[in-house]
Amino acid sequence: MIAQPAENLALEVRGLEFRYRSGGGFALSLANLAIRPGEQVLLRGGSGTGKSTLLQVIAGLVDPSGGTVRVAGTDVHALRGAARDRFRGTHVGMIFQTFNLLQGFSALENVLAALMFSELPRNEHRQHAVSLLRTLNVPNPDSPVETMSVGQQQRVAVARAVACRPTLVLADEPTASLDPENASAAIELIQTTCAQNGAALLCTSHDPAMTSRFSRVESLGALGPAPDRGAVGAGA
Amino acid sequence: MNDWMIIRRSLSSRRLSTVFTSLSVAVAVALMLLLLMMRDSGRAAFERGSGNMHLLVSADSDPLTAILNSVFLAAPPRRPIEHAKFEQLAGRAPWEYFIPTQLGDSYQGLPVFATTTEFFSRFKPDPVEPWKLKSGRFFDKNFEVVLGARAAEATGLKLGDRIALTHGMPKTRAQLDEEGVTGDAPAPHVHDEYKFEVVGVLEPTGGAHDRAIITSITSAWILHAHDRHEKEEHEHEAQEKAGEKPGEHADHAHEEEHEPLTTEADLIDSDRKITGIYARLATRPGSDSSSIIPVIFNQLRSDPTITVAQPTQEIDKLFRIVGSVDQILIAMAAVVAASSGISILLALYNSMEQRRRQIAVLRVLGASAGRIFRLVLAESIALGAIGAACGFVMAIVGARLVASEMKARLGLVIEPSVTPMVAGLVIAGAVLLAAAAGLLPAVVAYRTSVAKNLRPLG
Repeated sequence: MIAQPAENLALEVRGLEFRYRSGGGFALSLANLAIRPGEQVLLRGGSGTGKSTLLQVIAGLVDPSGGTVRVAGTDVHALRGAARDRFRGTHVGMIFQTFNLLQGFSALENVLAALMFSELPRNEHRQHAVSLLRTLNVPNPDSPVETMSVGQQQRVAVARAVACRPTLVLADEPTASLDPENASAAIELIQTTCAQNGAALLCTSHDPAMTSRFSRVESLGALGPAPDRGAVGAGA
Repeated sequence: MNDWMIIRRSLSSRRLSTVFTSLSVAVAVALMLLLLMMRDSGRAAFERGSGNMHLLVSADSDPLTAILNSVFLAAPPRRPIEHAKFEQLAGRAPWEYFIPTQLGDSYQGLPVFATTTEFFSRFKPDPVEPWKLKSGRFFDKNFEVVLGARAAEATGLKLGDRIALTHGMPKTRAQLDEEGVTGDAPAPHVHDEYKFEVVGVLEPTGGAHDRAIITSITSAWILHAHDRHEKEEHEHEAQEKAGEKPGEHADHAHEEEHEPLTTEADLIDSDRKITGIYARLATRPGSDSSSIIPVIFNQLRSDPTITVAQPTQEIDKLFRIVGSVDQILIAMAAVVAASSGISILLALYNSMEQRRRQIAVLRVLGASAGRIFRLVLAESIALGAIGAACGFVMAIVGARLVASEMKARLGLVIEPSVTPMVAGLVIAGAVLLAAAAGLLPAVVAYRTSVAKNLRPLG
C-alpha cells in the first residue's frame, strides 16, 4: 500500500477515529492518508465535516479515539505532555483562517515566538526571522501586528508557520476570510513558501476554486454517527 | 524572544491593572518595612536619651511622665522638688552622681536645661560615650550657656553671642486646660536684664538634650529669685502707696528700673527649685549596673513626695504599650499584603479570559502546558517583585520623611534602619505571596484547552 518506509513520509495517518465524548455523536474517521515530504495536498469538505479537528489531531493538540498519526516517522500520540509539544514546535507549522497572531507583539516577535520552541540555534533566530519576513514582503517587521493590513497579517502568519523549518504545514481554511482575488494570492504565497522551505502542506478548504491550485486533492466526506471507514482513501 | 519578553508584553498590555496591582503590593511592603524600621529605631532613639543614669527622681505624678519630662524634655515638670529634699536624698545612697536639673525656662521655644557642671563631667548621654564639644567649652560660671547640637542649628547662635532667656515656656491652650488654668496664661516673660553668653556647642548625640540650651542651675535660680524679689517689691510698694498720698513718691517707678540685680547671694532655699535629678549609683569598674539599684529604688519609691523612675524599665514599659499598637499596625500591614495578594490573583485570573487565545497559540507553537503554567506564575512573581521593589523605595523615602518630622516636632532623632535580613524577609514574603496568588491563574492557564480556543472568533 505504501511504497516508502514510514520514516520518509511527512505525514502518515492510519485508521484514525475521533469521536467527541459529548455532543451529538459527531465522529470523524480517516483510514489512510499519506503525504510525502514537500508534497502539497488540499483536503476538501464542507464546513462541519471535521477538517479543523483532523488538523488538530494531526498536530497532537487533540487525542484521537483510535488509529495512529505519524509525522516525519514519529507517532505523535505516543508522545506525552511536553515531549509532544516540543515535537510540534519543531516539526509542525500551523496557519489559521483568523491568523491567530500574538496580539500586542510585532511581526518579528510573532516569528521569534515560534522560533523559541524550535531547534534552531538561538543566535540565528533574529536573522532567520528577519530574512523570512523580508522574503514575504512584510514592510515593517517591528510594528505591532494589529496595526497591519489583513494581507500583511496573513504574511506574518505564513512566516511564523514555516519559521521552525517544519516537516509539515497544516493550513486550516487559510483563505476563508479573504475575497477571491486575495484568496488566490494567499494560497499562492503559502504554497510557494512551503515549497521554498521544504515543508509538506496539508491545506483544508471548502472553496471549490482552490481545487485547481493543488495537484492532489482529497475529500473528507465522513459525516454522521457511523461513518464508513476509509472515507478518504489516500494513496501515494 | 524569551519568556521574560512574553511576560513583559503581557504586563504592559494591561498597564493599568499592572500598575495598580503592583502598587497594592508596594503599599503593603512599604507599610510593613516602615513599621519595622520605626519600631527598632524608635526604641533605639528612646534608649539613647537616658544615657548612663540609673535612676531619675522628680516630683512628677508617675515615672513615665518623669522620664518624658526630664529626660526627653517633653514638657517642664509641674512640681519641683524642694531643695531640702534634694540634700536629704543626696546623702541617702552611695551615688556616683546625683545631678540636679531644672526645666521651665526657654529660648525661642527651645527648652533651657539648667544643671550643674557634673552633667558634663559625670553624666554620659550615651552609656559609654561622654559629651563632646563641637566648639568652645563647657560652662563654668553663671550666665553661660552651652548649646545642644540641634539648638545651635535651630537658633543660629555662635560662641560669644549673648542671649536673654524667657522665664516660662509658651504653652498651648490645651496644655493650660489640662493644668486647670482658666483665663489668660501667666505670660512667659523675657529676662532682658540677664544676658547669657554662649560658651560652647555640643556634638549631636541623638538624644533630646541636643535641642536644649544648657546653663548652670544657679543662673536659673537667680532668674527665679529676681522674679520673687520684684514681686515682693511690688507688694511692698502697693502697701506703701495705700498709706501715702499720691505724688509723694513720684519718682519711685524711676528708681525701680535701677534696682540692683539679684545675685547668688540673694538666693533663699525656696528659689533653689529642682525639677529632676539624674542619679547613678557607684559601680564596680567595668560594670554598668549595681546590685543595690533595686534596693535604693524601692527605698526612694516609698517616699510619697517624690517619683523615682528607672529609665530603662520605663522605656520597656512604654514600648510594651507602643508594642501592642505596632502589633496591630503590623497585623494591618499583613491584611493589606493579603489583599494585595488577592488583587494579583484577580488581575491575573480575569486576564486569563482574554489570554486564552494567546495561550492556545503559544501551545500550537510548541509551548508545553508546564511552560504556560510557569509563564503565568512568573508573571505573578514579577508583579510581586516590582511591587516589593517600589515598596522598598517607598519605605526608605517614607522613613526619611517620618524621621525628619519626628526631629522637627519632637526633637527625637530616629535613624530608620532595617537589617538586610528583615528587609529580605519582607520582600521575599511579598514575592512568595505573589507566587501563591499566581497559582490559581497558572492552573487555569495550564488547563486551557488549545482546540477550543483556536476557533475563529464569533
